[in-house]
Amino acid sequence: MASGDTLLVFPAQANEPPSASYATFDTRNGHPVLDFDAAANEVAIFTGVMPQHYAGGGVDVILHVAFSSATTGDSDWDVEWELIGVGDQDLDSDGFAAANSTDNTTVPGTSGHVQQITVSFTDGADMDSVLVGDLFRLRVTRDAASDTATGDAELLAVELREA
Amino acid sequence: MAELTSEQRRRVNAAVMRSFSAYEEQVPINKTELRAAVDALDTFLNNNQAAINTAIPQPARGALSTGQKAVIFTAVQIARYMIDNPTAINELVHLLGQVREEME
Repeated sequence: MASGDTLLVFPAQANEPPSASYATFDTRNGHPVLDFDAAANEVAIFTGVMPQHYAGGGVDVILHVAFSSATTGDSDWDVEWELIGVGDQDLDSDGFAAANSTDNTTVPGTSGHVQQITVSFTDGADMDSVLVGDLFRLRVTRDAASDTATGDAELLAVELREA
Repeated sequence: MAELTSEQRRRVNAAVMRSFSAYEEQVPINKTELRAAVDALDTFLNNNQAAINTAIPQPARGALSTGQKAVIFTAVQIARYMIDNPTAINELVHLLGQVREEME
């Protein structure tokens, strides 16, 4: 597919929370969201299969985010890939590659407005060498220890696009 | 009572942020500015606790425990600033749970 085409979309309900420090499921006016705390780093994990139409290049991870209360300040996000593939990863342990980050994104001036935050990856080791047809996981972390926005960040969806 | 420690203030700040978030009330300041407010109020209360206690007439001042006087102090603040503001009341109720969870 071409640059900018959507590969996958993970809604909030697709989260597979870890046993601790997980983003909390919530709703906002009926919209399912994952609440990421402002005082501690929390994570959400999504499992997918890379579509057969993936061209094999870089991938942009687009985080669709609103804020529960903040109308000023910024947010920091980390995203990591884990190739599960076929015989690549023992399910009894985690194997996430190094995180890529997008930091200091100013929050929307109106609480309830959604913004898109892009975390970019090149193909290969940057995205743990995930290829067409591979099972993989994506771990999303709000780096609350370093950002400045008060209150919860609400993740509505994670979109993967061809870079 | 001494000032809260830095860690205790951090926990209070976290509890306040969660309470604001729970009711989706817009907060036009960042974490640092909110923490400065928490710090300043704790310092003010620490510096003025004797005056606040003196303002309580006898026999209440001498007969009530510190905890009981703190309840009265909080009740008066609720009546003054929150009773006509349902969102603030809801945030306060949420906050009590959050503070207990953070401080225990």
